[in-house]
Amino acid sequence: MARTDGPDAPAIAVDGLWQVFGDGARSALSDLLKPGAATTDGVARRLKEQGLIPAVQDASFSVKEGELFVIMGLSGSGKSTLIRCMSRLVEPTSGSVLMAGEDILAASKRRMIELRREKLGMVFQHFGLFPHMSVIDNVAFPIKMKGVGLKERRARAMEVIELVGLGGREDAYPRELSGGQRQRVGIARSLAVNPDVWFLDEPFSALDPLIRRQLQDEFLNIQATLRKSIVFITHDIGEALKLADRIAIMRDGVIVQIGTPSEIVLNPVDDYVREFSRDIPKGRHMTLEALMEPVNGAPDNGGPELRTAMTLDDALSACALTFEPMAVRDGEGKVVGLLRPEALARAVGEAQST
Amino acid sequence: MSGLSPLKSALDSKGKQAAALVVFVGMVCLLAAPYAPWLVAWPSVLTVPMSDWISQGLGAFFETIKPAMRWVSWVLGFGMAAANWLLVSTPWVVVIGVTTAVGWYLGGLKMAALGFLGLLFVLASGYWVESMNTLALVFVSVPLALLLGTAIGILAYEVQRVKKIVEAVLDLMQTIPTFAYLTPLLLLFGFGPVVGLIASAIYAAPPMARNVLLGLERVESDIKEAAVMSGGTRAQQLFLVELPSAMTQIMVGVNQSLMAALSMVIIAAVIGGFNDIGWEVLLTMRKAQFGQSFLAGLVIVVFAIVIDRMSGALAQERRRYSTRVVWWIIVASLVAAVVLDDLLPAADTLSYFGGVADSVDQSVGDFTRVYGSSLDTLKNSAMFYVLLPLRIGLDDAVLPFTWGFQWTAAMSAWVYAIGVVVAALLAWQGRLTLGLCLLVLIGVIETGVTQLPWIFVLVGVGALGWVSSGWRLSVLCVCLLGLIMVSGLWDRALLSLYLSGAAVFTCAVLGGALGLWAAVSTTAWAVIRPVCDMLQTIPLFVFLIPMLMFFQIGEFSAFLAIIAYAIVPMIRYTRHGLVTTPDDMIEAAVSSGATNWQIMREVRAPYAAPTILLGLNQTILYAFAMLVIAALIGTTGLGQSIYIALGRADVGLGITAGAAMAILALVADRLVQGFAEERRNALGL
Repeated sequence: MARTDGPDAPAIAVDGLWQVFGDGARSALSDLLKPGAATTDGVARRLKEQGLIPAVQDASFSVKEGELFVIMGLSGSGKSTLIRCMSRLVEPTSGSVLMAGEDILAASKRRMIELRREKLGMVFQHFGLFPHMSVIDNVAFPIKMKGVGLKERRARAMEVIELVGLGGREDAYPRELSGGQRQRVGIARSLAVNPDVWFLDEPFSALDPLIRRQLQDEFLNIQATLRKSIVFITHDIGEALKLADRIAIMRDGVIVQIGTPSEIVLNPVDDYVREFSRDIPKGRHMTLEALMEPVNGAPDNGGPELRTAMTLDDALSACALTFEPMAVRDGEGKVVGLLRPEALARAVGEAQST
Repeated sequence: MSGLSPLKSALDSKGKQAAALVVFVGMVCLLAAPYAPWLVAWPSVLTVPMSDWISQGLGAFFETIKPAMRWVSWVLGFGMAAANWLLVSTPWVVVIGVTTAVGWYLGGLKMAALGFLGLLFVLASGYWVESMNTLALVFVSVPLALLLGTAIGILAYEVQRVKKIVEAVLDLMQTIPTFAYLTPLLLLFGFGPVVGLIASAIYAAPPMARNVLLGLERVESDIKEAAVMSGGTRAQQLFLVELPSAMTQIMVGVNQSLMAALSMVIIAAVIGGFNDIGWEVLLTMRKAQFGQSFLAGLVIVVFAIVIDRMSGALAQERRRYSTRVVWWIIVASLVAAVVLDDLLPAADTLSYFGGVADSVDQSVGDFTRVYGSSLDTLKNSAMFYVLLPLRIGLDDAVLPFTWGFQWTAAMSAWVYAIGVVVAALLAWQGRLTLGLCLLVLIGVIETGVTQLPWIFVLVGVGALGWVSSGWRLSVLCVCLLGLIMVSGLWDRALLSLYLSGAAVFTCAVLGGALGLWAAVSTTAWAVIRPVCDMLQTIPLFVFLIPMLMFFQIGEFSAFLAIIAYAIVPMIRYTRHGLVTTPDDMIEAAVSSGATNWQIMREVRAPYAAPTILLGLNQTILYAFAMLVIAALIGTTGLGQSIYIALGRADVGLGITAGAAMAILALVADRLVQGFAEERRNALGL
């Protein structure tokens, strides 16, 4: 693949990624993937017939600069394998992963170490903290790997420890921390080298619901200032909808749908995806953009100010007393559509009755 | 006391304080030694003739119970004679047939072939009768040990209050050297194979007890509760549900028990009076017929492997093989025995490997003739440059005869001065503890382990105990060592300490390196692993043979034998600790951009530290066990005392020397366990 360095080039571009487990997986897959061969489903079936396990099948997507990209799926759907392929903790069977135009699957071992020391950060579900190191030593570990001197790396580690709100606990050991605090250490460590790409593998799944929500909010705050390109794994649709700019939904190793949260909620491609969003209050996640009737430069009737990015719930409370169709504006304030109150009421009602 | 405050702030950790104290005491001893000799050598006025007291006390006691014991001996002798008669008079075709059949049942073709070829080798070696004698001892002692062990295990499981005591006793029994069992038994039961029988029954019971207890404790609570809710009585719960559920673990106990019994039976041959295979090894070794003794040793190893692998298969839950084949093999062997009765030669007339033994003798002879000087050089350099200085110190070991010059007091001063400078440099770099430890090490090498002042040793061990787990351990260690000192066995204990210390140190370095290598390279592990398995199956006794062949009787042979035996746990635990670091930690390190070497040093090694320390602990216990056996080929120290006591039937000396040995092992065990525990806590495990 050619290098595609440009202002609009995605931060990460995954193309045709396969991960097949079993002996002789590589040659079996390359035989099946010859040009003009079967569909993804067909290839997967043939692989299974040979006793191989296709954990990730033909995954392709891209993550924009500064985008928070969530991969969602049930356990066993291949999402953890996928993120491990992207960080090359496991060796993918086929495909390419471009970061800033460089195919990291083709990178040498040495180059990979370099990349991990400079550009990649990763957070793990069970934290992966080193029990024999204090908080600050854990956080400073990736910087130490680079060979940075003690003073400098401690200073940098302190910065990120402050960032995740653990200032004052830097000399504690992991065993002395609560689950939430441990994951803060994990987050701090992954940010220590100030990476461009940030992988998070179910970072909040092992935490209590309250702590989870708190950390999600803080995570969004951190992201608002740092603007990293993020790949975030979760099995919790609520978490995905809350955090994501875009979501990819995985099932049995296949990405079945990629879209913004409201696309996923509004237009699920199949029953599997619909099943996920079933219990989600639509009013809270669906935006007006999906509901309005598009117009170009329609008159403004002076009603309440509606924006395309508003959720249905917010719109409902904004125009509780209006019966007239109202103008909806885009981000710049230009009127782009009309919203009929009865459509709004129906949509919210539908969402609640399903 | 304002002058003390900088000192206090410099010594801000337990380790630094302890090391500083030891250095201080060492310095005082060094300076005061010429004026106060009692600082160095414990005054003989203060020793107590403990051995004599024990001899007298136990002697009287033994006299009263002797008749009862002699009766037990008579009964057991009867059982043994029966087992013996059965094994020896049964045609060898049938014995081989039955072994093959059992092998088939337990592990299919592979195990059957192992049993068949193993026994065929024994038959062809010409040691059939001797082997059957040994086997008869094992056959009688193991059921006794299993019964005893199971009873103890169940008792400890049922009565929680007894459990603690039982565990303490089992721990202690593991540290008492094998020879030490024999002397009191000798007095009670008189000379003869029954002593070996009883000793091996006692020696083989603890592993069984341990595994029964462990197995019962590991039965899932669901299963136990289901048994309760089914309305079983306690006995029904235990015998119908819990014991069967624990069977796999119990079978591990059977395996260990069998191996322990075999090992002890062979060791018990030193008492003599019974024509078994261990005696054969001993006899040929004494006559320097190394070929023959090598062959007999090989027979023991083959036996050990067959018994170990077959009973090991018992402890694995897998399918058993068809009983039809089993019966066919047995019937076929019976038929062969009847039909071919006249054609088959008697077992004791066979000896196909006499030529092999001779040629082994021949080639060893040739080898030592050709390479004798290099072997001697190797031995002498190890002795002169390492072992001897460690034993009696540089000041006495460096002579014109050994090093080519005479050690002088000025040289000592120089060595100490350089040590102080290096230590000061280390302290300046913030590594004060290391510097102080270096000083202690220099002091020990200059003085020699066996000439260390007793105060220095006690303070040193006390300080180690304090650092490793606190005051209680410190006091316990000092008191136990004090006991050895008062009993008058101090000099011998230091001799034992020196030799086992040198061997353990070598094992730690060499075994640690091999373990690291095995952790890094699977190819290396594929080679090292079977060697480790092999070394762990061979009975202690057999290790002496090759060492004797090449290096003759002496301390160096003993040193090598101890290393060969004790290095295995160090290799295994090091590798195990290094490869079992949790995946999420490895992934975190990899994604931090650590290289393989960085992962090894920064993550794997610290995480493995407690496991490696446990390996070191095992290595120490193994070294002490071997130290006593190695007394047969010429070590001084406690092992020799125990051996002498056995020869003279001196029960007092046997018990005090055995106890002293056990104390050394116990102290080392507790110290290392303390450090391992401290590391585990530091890791939050």
